[in-house]
Amino acid sequence: MKASRWFEQLAAVTILAGVAGVASASNDRLVLTGSSTVAPLVSEIGKRFEKQNPGIRVDVQTGGSSRGVADTRSGLVNIGMVSRALNSGEHDLVAHAIAMDGVGIILHRSNPVQTLTDEQVKAIYRGQITHWSEVGGKDVRITVVNKAEGRSTLELFLHHFALKNSEIKAQVVIGENQQGIKTVAGNPGAVGYVSIGTAEYEAARGTPIKLLPMAGVAATVDNIRDGRFPLSRPLNLVTKGAPTGLAKRFIEFARSGAVNDLVEAQFFVPLAR
Amino acid sequence: MHTLSDRAFTLSIWGAAALGAAAFLWLLGDLAWHGMAHLSWSFLVSEPLNAGRSGGIAPILVSTLLILAVALAAAIPLGLGAAIWLAEYTRRSGALGRSIRLSLDVLAGIPSIVFGLFGNAFFCVFLGLGFSILSGGLTLACMILPIFIRTSEAGLSAVSDDWRHNAAALGMTRASVLWHVLLPAAAPAVICGLMLGIGRATAETAALIFTSGYVDRMPESLSDSGRALAVHIYDLSMNVTGGDSAAYASALVLIVLIVFINTGALALSDRWLTRRITAT
Repeated sequence: MKASRWFEQLAAVTILAGVAGVASASNDRLVLTGSSTVAPLVSEIGKRFEKQNPGIRVDVQTGGSSRGVADTRSGLVNIGMVSRALNSGEHDLVAHAIAMDGVGIILHRSNPVQTLTDEQVKAIYRGQITHWSEVGGKDVRITVVNKAEGRSTLELFLHHFALKNSEIKAQVVIGENQQGIKTVAGNPGAVGYVSIGTAEYEAARGTPIKLLPMAGVAATVDNIRDGRFPLSRPLNLVTKGAPTGLAKRFIEFARSGAVNDLVEAQFFVPLAR
Repeated sequence: MHTLSDRAFTLSIWGAAALGAAAFLWLLGDLAWHGMAHLSWSFLVSEPLNAGRSGGIAPILVSTLLILAVALAAAIPLGLGAAIWLAEYTRRSGALGRSIRLSLDVLAGIPSIVFGLFGNAFFCVFLGLGFSILSGGLTLACMILPIFIRTSEAGLSAVSDDWRHNAAALGMTRASVLWHVLLPAAAPAVICGLMLGIGRATAETAALIFTSGYVDRMPESLSDSGRALAVHIYDLSMNVTGGDSAAYASALVLIVLIVFINTGALALSDRWLTRRITAT
């Protein structure tokens, strides 16, 4: 393959010469990468921004929050998307929240367990509790659904429960929220954690899942808006230093009340203004 | 006793065939059942709205076809060239040929996400193509080349040496033997490799999400980012809440598209085969 790989690269370069770097980021194009949770929302905000600012292009790419952080740092993109608060190692970046999201524990609807204490959740995820009968349910084996490395929901979950990912004994590792919901809906013994807006919508539509309250607070969008639900996160746009020019205008627009309907349409919670 | 085992054998053969067909029909039926309601002419010709839950897939369809066109434009000449070299210009048991075949076989088995990461690092970042249809198409070309080269080479090698000797005896040049005799004879294998490649490319998500990207606007040039149909389906079903019915409809479109392209490729190979007889 070495020979044909070289041919390949040669071909790429020749084609390149023809197309001649039209793509590079210019003054009228914003490129964003990052969290797949935030991407559909920012994509919609971008379309509205494009409509109000003819000639401007907002290109939204995905890949996860870590990628958003890395690409913003390296200068590959103008703005990153990160679905959590920035941590202590990321002080070189500036976060601009555009919406809130809560993360709730979900079980299959047929599971009789109504609530789990933080200690029980920890023990289940560490593999110390392996059957629902140990926490008041049926004698069914627990299927622990965890999120993949690099997902902000995972980081939020680990931080809240003071767990390390290496301690978790998961049977299923998933990426996106919808995937988590589908996994739990298809497995009566499963436990997982997903974005609350998404879970609320799916549960209302008849998907066999249910959200557990946390520390006595019901997992509802209203409780996230009030800031009462313990496991919530900001959805952020991040920039390297203070944003300028087009990036600044876009971030101001994304943080304004003009996008509230878009935030709600993606099952997130608009910022309290 | 003989008839009993014979019958059991016949039954299991029929069963295996029926199971294969049933699995495909079930899949198609499930897609049609869930997707038909959402599918309409306007779904095909309008832009996606509300993260793809409503609206259509027109820009995504255009991007998909453009990505495929770029991939084939790069892969067909390179692949045919490499296959001809392997089959005709090097000894079949030679060390170089053997090692190239081995690396092609290894490459053919590499998961597509690896090609995606390579494509992102090489085409998007190193060559500065950014997230673009061009990056996506070239990444797909890298991905389908190994299978395409190996099937085409097998087709060429299967042509009887008598034909080569006869052509040489007639004083035909190497190029004209290739063009008029060997390639037409190997056409079914070449088309088969092409169809495998197209199938793999059109259904590809992992290699495209980091190369051609996520943007669902109508592409204006090959250097624009464009979301492929498979990426759209993945996003709708795994990431967008309430995107399921649009995902089913898009998947139905994808399947119909693959069937169309494959039928087209078959028709093309038939024409090429019949022309061989009268070629000058």
